[in-house]
Amino acid sequence: MKKLEEKIIKKIYRMEAEKTIGQIISEVSLAILLFLSSSFIFSVIVEILNEQASFDLFDFLRDDFEIIRENFFNNSLIFVQELPQPLIYILIGLLLTIVWLLYVFTKNFNKIKNKLVLIYKFWFK
Amino acid sequence: MAELSDKDIIKKIRNGEINYYSFIVKKYTTSIYRYIERKLFKKDEVDDLVQNVFISFYKAIEKFDERKPIKPYLFQIVQNELKMYYRSQKLTTSLNDNIYLIDDRSQDNNIDDYLSHLNQEERNIFQHINKGYSYEEIGKLFKKPVNTIKSIIRRGRLKIKNIHEKT
Repeated sequence: MKKLEEKIIKKIYRMEAEKTIGQIISEVSLAILLFLSSSFIFSVIVEILNEQASFDLFDFLRDDFEIIRENFFNNSLIFVQELPQPLIYILIGLLLTIVWLLYVFTKNFNKIKNKLVLIYKFWFK
Repeated sequence: MAELSDKDIIKKIRNGEINYYSFIVKKYTTSIYRYIERKLFKKDEVDDLVQNVFISFYKAIEKFDERKPIKPYLFQIVQNELKMYYRSQKLTTSLNDNIYLIDDRSQDNNIDDYLSHLNQEERNIFQHINKGYSYEEIGKLFKKPVNTIKSIIRRGRLKIKNIHEKT
């Protein structure tokens, strides 16, 4: 009976090791992919805004406070309208996914850490 | 460690402390092993089935309601595993209705003896059940309504039970 128990426990550890390592690899790869994609999309957005000279709309910030106060709302509105909408939505979606992924990872951090420590102890000690 | 209840163990496993699963394995392996051993014809498959039961339970541990006792849940998994096993062996289709003999290894060799106490029709029906036919299929084969087949089986079971009690 003891042999059977050991066999079961060994199987559980093997299964858990595969699952946990797979989970870590997939989550990290997804996070890297999302980060790279959002960086790329962000650079494209900045490039588009540069080409449109949209950043010039904020040149008034160098002027007096009174001028800033008068123009800030209007210029900001124009700037928002000039943003490439589809890319902005995609960027927001990607950033939200990264935040969600980070939340899940921090929430499960202790659990994953415990599992990894125990798997390491079981197989290597 | 003996003070830990099943509930606490489940909580710890959910927290990633998978080493606590060994307490569950140690606690229930013997009873599950004996139960499956009594149900199976091939003894060498008992180990595999016991392993499957514990692996299935481990997989389901996140969904498991910790307020409920583990043992009935484990035995429910045992029932499912046995059903799957029987299906793969094509012995019976359902554990609840179609096993006509009380599962006891000492009786397995006496199936023919028990069947000899039944009449030809009852014997044929029981043999078909043993081959994995459903009540509906047997009804079609014998050209009888399903309820009649059920009555014949019930009568046959009673006969077998009486014979078993006498011996």
